Amino acid sequence: MADSLLAPRAGIDDPFAAAVHATRMSMAIVDAQAPDLPIVFVNDAFLRMTGYRRDEVIGRNCRFLQGPDTDGEVVKMLSRAIRQGEAANLDLLNYRKDGAPFWNALQISPVRDAGGQIVYFIGSQVDVTARKAAEAALEAAAAEQARTAQQALADRTALLHEVDHRVKNNLQLITSLLVLQTRRTQDDATQAALQSMLSRVSAIATVHRRLFQSHDLERFDVATFIRDLMGDVSSGREEVDIHLDLERVDIAAAQAAPLALAVNELVDNAFKHGLAPDRPGRLTIRVRRLNGHYVIEVCDDGPGLPETGEFEPGFGLTITNLLAQQLRATLAFEPGSPGVRAILKLPAHG
Amino acid sequence: MSRPLSVLIVEDEVLLAVELGFLVREAGCHEVGHALDSASAVELAQTLEPDIALVDVHLADGPTGVAAARQIAEGQGAIVLFMTANVKRLPEDLAGACGVIGKPYSDRAVRRALTYLARCLQDGAAPGPPPPGLALSERFVSRWGVDQLAQAV
Repeated sequence: MADSLLAPRAGIDDPFAAAVHATRMSMAIVDAQAPDLPIVFVNDAFLRMTGYRRDEVIGRNCRFLQGPDTDGEVVKMLSRAIRQGEAANLDLLNYRKDGAPFWNALQISPVRDAGGQIVYFIGSQVDVTARKAAEAALEAAAAEQARTAQQALADRTALLHEVDHRVKNNLQLITSLLVLQTRRTQDDATQAALQSMLSRVSAIATVHRRLFQSHDLERFDVATFIRDLMGDVSSGREEVDIHLDLERVDIAAAQAAPLALAVNELVDNAFKHGLAPDRPGRLTIRVRRLNGHYVIEVCDDGPGLPETGEFEPGFGLTITNLLAQQLRATLAFEPGSPGVRAILKLPAHG
Repeated sequence: MSRPLSVLIVEDEVLLAVELGFLVREAGCHEVGHALDSASAVELAQTLEPDIALVDVHLADGPTGVAAARQIAEGQGAIVLFMTANVKRLPEDLAGACGVIGKPYSDRAVRRALTYLARCLQDGAAPGPPPPGLALSERFVSRWGVDQLAQAV
């Protein structure tokens, strides 16, 4: 379809010039063939935006709009586009006549004559100061948010360390109190009870030491715990040969203390009933994964189960059964060959 | 053993210190003093000249155990063993200390560690790898030839 704009209108010689003059978009045209590309035309919107009079801008290069904070790199990009006769699209910090800076979203395009020679560059300018300010505010807000999040993480880590430290110190204090009272106690039964409590607290202490040593605070390595536990037990009973057959098994940290206590009771039980003092014996602990379960076995080579097939339900056995319930585990005592095999079987997760 | 190892206990929790005193004696060592804060720790280390100082990080005057340990280790020739719940806060060189026992420790772990360190000091060389619960600093690993031990195994 033919361009219909050239149809005559009353009082208008050149409809393009009239339109460019009237538009609210700031426009300027520079002479591409004259030295230093002087401005040959600006519309009224350009004058409103920059605050200059027409006679102050005609004949000058556009760089008078630049100022101290104009980005030299952006200016270089603009010069390169002009040199290569290409269109360009960039955000440039410019300055009004009164010195006030504004963000200029500048678009320039070359205008060619019939022979393909560039005769003009036409530029349009939009004041995007408000958009730039919004962007900057958004960026600042994001940076602030990141800083706050980082601070919160640092606070949380510091708090965790502090709590960890206090828990460890308190466990140490409880342990020392128990040991001190054990030393003062003459009565054998009381002493045995205190010793049992001490071994339970020590098992929990061993858990806590391990939990915070690992990088993963959510998981607990059962094999390492058992090695630690037996490292402490074995030096008290040199005559017992301890055999560990441990697969690496991780459980949830929340299950660590109950499982540790249960294993501690089973080991204690084996020492009390299966491994008489001053008799060489063998204690075997196995951990393995079997059909979606973790199986922990504590085996001694002692006299075996009582005639009834069950142990007297003492305090240790009572709490082991309760802990097994909590862990949704099953606990069984089977005849070994010789001795007793205690089997704790708990569901594996994941 | 020629003579029992003399031990200075630097610990602000008195009940722990008393119990530690029992463990020291049970390990065949001899407790020569007890300090609650860093100033008296350094002073007692100078006057009593112990073979070994057992030092907590947190003392009555704040988290001053590391600085006190460094002063003691660089001073009279006592070796320092940290006993702390704050293992992660210790500097990488352990402030010149020979090692660390993490709290909560067991009485057995402490007795084993003291017996082991007594052998190391007496012979100038380790009888074997450190017992469970005791971690040695790099400097003392090489001083007592524990690294050579590991290679020989």
